[in-house]
Amino acid sequence: MKTLRHNPMAWVIGTLLVALLPQLASMPAHLVAITLAPIAWRGAAEIRGWRPLPTWLRLGVTLATLVVLVGTYGNLLGRRAAVGLLSLMLALKLLETFRARDARIVASLSLFLCATQFLFTQGLVMVAYGAACTVGALVALALIARREAFAVSARPAPPGRGVLGELGFGARLAALAVPLALALFLFFPRWGSPLWGVPERSLDAKSGLSDSMAPGTIQSLFMDDSPAFRAIFDGDLPRRQDLYWRGPVLWEFDGRQWETSWMGRNHQAERLPDPESAPYRYEVQLEPHERHWLFALDYPAVIPPEANRLSLDYQLLTRRGVTRLTAYEMVSDPGFIDSPTLRNTLRGMALALPDDFNPRTREMMERWRAETDNDATLVRRVLEHFNQEDFRYTLNPPLLSRHTVDEFLFETRAGFCEHYASTFAVMMRMAGIPSRVVTGYQGGWYNELGNYVLVRQSDAHAWAEVWLPGTGWTRIDPTAAVAPSRVERGALDALDARRYLFDYEWLRNVRNAFDWVNRGWNDWVIAFDARRQSGLLGFMGIGRLGTRGLVALLGLSMLVAGALVVPWLWRLGRDRERDPVVRQWRRFLARLRKAGAPVTVAMGPLEVAHAAAGHPGLDPVRVSRITQSYMNLRYASRVEDREILLRELKRFRTRSET
Amino acid sequence: MAARPVSLNASGPVHPSGSGTDAIVRRRPDPWLAPPPGPLGRRLRRLWPTDRFRSWVIARVRRRRDSIRPPHVLGYRQVFILPTMFGAGFALMLVFTALGGLNFNNNLALLLVFVLGALAQATTLLAYRDLAGLEVVAVRVDPVFAGEPAHLHLDLRNPEDRHRFAVEGALATDRSGDCLDLAPSGAGSLALSLPTRQRGWLELPPLRLQTRYPLGLFRAWAWVFPETRCLVYPRPAQDPPPLPQTGAGRTGQARRGEGDQVYGLRNYRAGDPLKHIAWRTSARHDQLYTRQMEAPREANCVLDFRRLDGLDTERRLSVLAAWVLMAEHRALSWSLELPGLTVPAATGPAHRAACLEALALFEG
Repeated sequence: MKTLRHNPMAWVIGTLLVALLPQLASMPAHLVAITLAPIAWRGAAEIRGWRPLPTWLRLGVTLATLVVLVGTYGNLLGRRAAVGLLSLMLALKLLETFRARDARIVASLSLFLCATQFLFTQGLVMVAYGAACTVGALVALALIARREAFAVSARPAPPGRGVLGELGFGARLAALAVPLALALFLFFPRWGSPLWGVPERSLDAKSGLSDSMAPGTIQSLFMDDSPAFRAIFDGDLPRRQDLYWRGPVLWEFDGRQWETSWMGRNHQAERLPDPESAPYRYEVQLEPHERHWLFALDYPAVIPPEANRLSLDYQLLTRRGVTRLTAYEMVSDPGFIDSPTLRNTLRGMALALPDDFNPRTREMMERWRAETDNDATLVRRVLEHFNQEDFRYTLNPPLLSRHTVDEFLFETRAGFCEHYASTFAVMMRMAGIPSRVVTGYQGGWYNELGNYVLVRQSDAHAWAEVWLPGTGWTRIDPTAAVAPSRVERGALDALDARRYLFDYEWLRNVRNAFDWVNRGWNDWVIAFDARRQSGLLGFMGIGRLGTRGLVALLGLSMLVAGALVVPWLWRLGRDRERDPVVRQWRRFLARLRKAGAPVTVAMGPLEVAHAAAGHPGLDPVRVSRITQSYMNLRYASRVEDREILLRELKRFRTRSET
Repeated sequence: MAARPVSLNASGPVHPSGSGTDAIVRRRPDPWLAPPPGPLGRRLRRLWPTDRFRSWVIARVRRRRDSIRPPHVLGYRQVFILPTMFGAGFALMLVFTALGGLNFNNNLALLLVFVLGALAQATTLLAYRDLAGLEVVAVRVDPVFAGEPAHLHLDLRNPEDRHRFAVEGALATDRSGDCLDLAPSGAGSLALSLPTRQRGWLELPPLRLQTRYPLGLFRAWAWVFPETRCLVYPRPAQDPPPLPQTGAGRTGQARRGEGDQVYGLRNYRAGDPLKHIAWRTSARHDQLYTRQMEAPREANCVLDFRRLDGLDTERRLSVLAAWVLMAEHRALSWSLELPGLTVPAATGPAHRAACLEALALFEG
């Protein structure tokens, strides 16, 4: 085992395994097995001293695994598939890795694999992952180089620094590289726009809102605690009831599923609220979700440059999917009246229902409609119905079949926000009131440390809007009628059951509180781009540098960083002596040398005294006092001389120094 | 044919310094290293003018800095550094990663590239510092018979109180190498071997002190031009004619216990050979006596160059070298006579060395 620790191959294999971790977590089980098998073989070969496999066998295995890979992913164009190919090839490369050259290739490509993983996620955890890969690869490379250097010599390689020493060395080296890397990071010229395109759907199948809603859609999001976005407010926070983050607006219902409409997506909003009088000003940092929505509170008053348009139903839409962390400034006015008048085409869309669905509800709504003319009264009646009858807000509703609304309303009476929103909108349409379903997020967690609102995927919500004369499109949240705490305190509090083991409130609070670290990371590292770079330069009082100026600045900053690092580098590898006596003794010898006395480190105290005797630059009394007490301490075990010696050593100066 | 990297125009017969790839028995190569180039690789290597380039560089360095002779402390101007093949490949990988990172504005990938790049940059300093300030104390080499590898010892001393790891020594003309770690203020010796083919003085080719510490991304090196020469004795003949014995042997002290001349009698001891028993005397005294035997010393054999008729000079020297070894093996005293030079009779290693040196440097 001890030899294995010093074995470069063990480190190469270990580094590759660490670099593979995120990839393995996202691959199907059979691919994981295929990737791990050659690594396991190589590990066993190292321990048992097996010979390399014959070439035809390796070739056959490679071809077979390629077939499996293509069979799994369909093609190798997607990002996951391409990285999967890289991982698999690297694992297979181990089968023929028996020489320094191949071992180096695997170790460096492990670092490349590590970099490709950053394409999928750049969270703070990935920093630890990258650091582990880097240090592992450094140790592996150092051991490889050492073994290669000593392979030509007849003698066995001495232990050298040892693995712990190499680890510490690798870590110190990496730490020393940080100032230089930081200078590069800040001032390396960035590209304003990519040279080649970022493929859509390149992230993993990330959960997030979609442009359709069926029973269960939002419920699946509810299990996901990853952040959707963060909002940093200028001034006061909005009231809790106003925290409705608008996402896709769904118009079309086919009896089971709600979808967005072409018209809603592609027609521009006719008017915007007045940004001057809008009360809420904030910045949103949106995590990549690969869809086209930017989220904003009702109703967005500006169209940020990141968005492409504000649609008819006040969705903020981008041209390309949001594939990277995107920050935008927003202004919202909750008091804005959306569509005081409703065009007939839109009214038709907002009333359309498929035939032959939900006859019992239709019959009930026709009855209720006959009882009142006032739309608002009818809305209130339906909400009261939800509130007073035995409806439950639950995460595990019974499944519904064809007549979803009938079954929900008269039989199961248990559901999640999407059931209520959908049922309510359908009931409104049956009563002749234009309605639509809005999905998005509701609420959020206010982080006091960072002074921002964190919205997680589990805050996803669905509500309804009805068009009423006078108030235009009016938000109605039927879920609030059933479980008011959903809106007041969030969905997690509205439910009694835990979602999974360890789903405790205090744990959630701790996690939310620590989210400000992530936010800072997003803010300072991930979102840093050409725009922020020029912003930073502007902040430093340097405007409009251009690439050439930037390169000059980069050179300058690297010089500064180098000046910081080089002295440390110079001292690296020097024995750090813990015994102060030895330290001071060495310093003493150095002083003697500088004064011209021919002393070396290897000399004993008597020799030193002899060598320094009669030297004009030295006080003979002091020198002999020091050498004598050194001898007393070291050879006569007179411990009391230690203090005297230390004092004398510290006070010692040559004549030219005093 | 590899070009001759150095011109060795010293006095005395000198073999044209090795193309170096033959004539030496190698250890089995370590499987960790790259395999020796195959036929295609060798052909490609011939296209690539490394050797010619290297000999050009060595010639220049030698002309410009003839001070790198031991004992010498390596100064900063004498340490060169360039990336290895692996270093170049690593840089290429970093460039590709950086391009991807810039294109996707992936800052974590960029950060990784920058850290690795800065780190690689730092290793240049470490590699350089591994050699700079190192003291080359001496180059020692013992005389050797032609055809056997000469063993060089490059004595190094680390004057500073820090470790120097993986300091390699290599010959400019050969792939032989050695490696060691130097402890703080420590010393060590690198052992290199050099093929020899001809007798005479062998000028040592330039030595390369190099290191690929710490990561193998860069190789730092310094040239050392030793002034030491290696004395190469003639190759001893494989089956030489018998040692010429003068027969004038009674002068020296005889060797007791063997031979055919009786010098005394003593009481029989169990184990004495039967044929040595003096039967007549024993019968006379009713007691067994053993004859003590001795062989006359064939001392002072004369190894004469002129008596080896019908052979060319090198062959004669070869035979003489073999005779010297045989005579020493038999603990004889011998004298050596060469045209214009006579080494008087004597014995012992110093005498042997003197004779072999005379043979090595014989010009006739």
